[in-house]
Amino acid sequence: MGYYDIDDILVDSTEVPCKFNYEIPGLGYLENNPGKPIRKNTKLSLPLWLARVLAIVGADSQEQEDMDPNAEEEDGGDAFVELLTPDMFSNKVINAIKTDPKSLDLHAINPYFLDMALKWIALYSDKDLGEIVYELLLERAQQINNYASSVSIDTEYGNKYRSALLDALRLQQNSANEDRSGPLASINGTSSLTTRSANNSGIGSSVGTSQATNLAASTRFLLKLDEFERQLYKDTHDSYRDTKKWVSK
Amino acid sequence: MALPAHLQETFSPEEVQFLVEEETVKIFPRITTRQKRRDKNRGAYGDVDTKWSMLTTENDNLNNMVAMRSTEVKLWIALLLKQQNKCSIVAPSWLTLRELNRKIQQETNNSDRFCDLPWNWLVIANVLFAKAADDFHDPVHELRSKVQDLREIRQTKVLKGLKQLNASHLQLDNLSLLEINELRPFIVRTMDKLREIHDSANTDGGVVDGDEEEI
Repeated sequence: MGYYDIDDILVDSTEVPCKFNYEIPGLGYLENNPGKPIRKNTKLSLPLWLARVLAIVGADSQEQEDMDPNAEEEDGGDAFVELLTPDMFSNKVINAIKTDPKSLDLHAINPYFLDMALKWIALYSDKDLGEIVYELLLERAQQINNYASSVSIDTEYGNKYRSALLDALRLQQNSANEDRSGPLASINGTSSLTTRSANNSGIGSSVGTSQATNLAASTRFLLKLDEFERQLYKDTHDSYRDTKKWVSK
Repeated sequence: MALPAHLQETFSPEEVQFLVEEETVKIFPRITTRQKRRDKNRGAYGDVDTKWSMLTTENDNLNNMVAMRSTEVKLWIALLLKQQNKCSIVAPSWLTLRELNRKIQQETNNSDRFCDLPWNWLVIANVLFAKAADDFHDPVHELRSKVQDLREIRQTKVLKGLKQLNASHLQLDNLSLLEINELRPFIVRTMDKLREIHDSANTDGGVVDGDEEEI
């Protein structure tokens, strides 16, 4: 998590629900009506980079700025805002994680689920959530390794694989832009999004049947990964592929 | 950056091969480079013999080769000589059907550990099969299939071992360099993330404890 880490910057722009503890003049533009004050107990969604700081510092904290920020957080009322539990860490999601980490569509919940969880855990030193996310990553990592290690070094197939994958990802991006209303919709029952994109990308028409099944399966799997896991998959896959290329050359 | 992204935290298989080529192997030279004392003093013929003079390796062995008398040289030199038909490479003792069968037996009997093959077994086997296939006593296709068997058995064990990934450490006795190298991105990244999760859940307690002790 570096300062110039692009993924980290994107994680920090995720919005979280907040409640204001003070009436503050001039801050109305956060609510989209500039010029007005912001009222006490207003509920707002703020990007994490702003909310994290506002949840730590408060109105009368000038003289105690160098103190441990957590001391104030425990006081609760002192900070400008209070963070509310966002949808992605609601009980519904936690239960879904506990039930079956492998089939969960993390990307639909939040493209940066793991990194968000990391920041959330650090903010509250939440050991319970920490354990749940730890197990989640461990379980899913096995699956990622399984998919990444099945390598085909046939280049023609490789190219088809890549283009099909890109198509599917692009489609996912488009449909994500279409409806941002229900990010949690796909938790319930089948995730229509992923199956649709896997079918639409024309897999199976041109490649052999067994390869097509593999391709469809791994595409569907990849669409469920969050951004960290995608990077992990890519690096693992490249490593296995290079080794296999070298061994069979 | 100056170093391409895919090389920044690991070796490419070609670099692993480069490392392995620095090992010594036994060869049977088919040329004689040792000079007889008589020749040395001849002078009259006026021909000066060229000699090996190496900076990264010893050249005594190279300047004292006698045809069909075995000697030890670096693998990369052996491969160059072999390419010109000036030597034959002696396969290492573990690269025989009997020994490989024994290793496979060991692997299947002990499901919880890897048997003690040299750290470069996979690379050596592949290089020799490709470049010195005619120097083996056993039929090469059988050796190939045994090596493949060993590799598959060990891969299944690796898969089993990955279930034990954790935030602190992993013990991988007898896993060879190429096997470690292909797993490196996955294991390191996963363990790194697990550690981050573990640390962020626990740092706070640690810091507070530290502060209290100071007070």
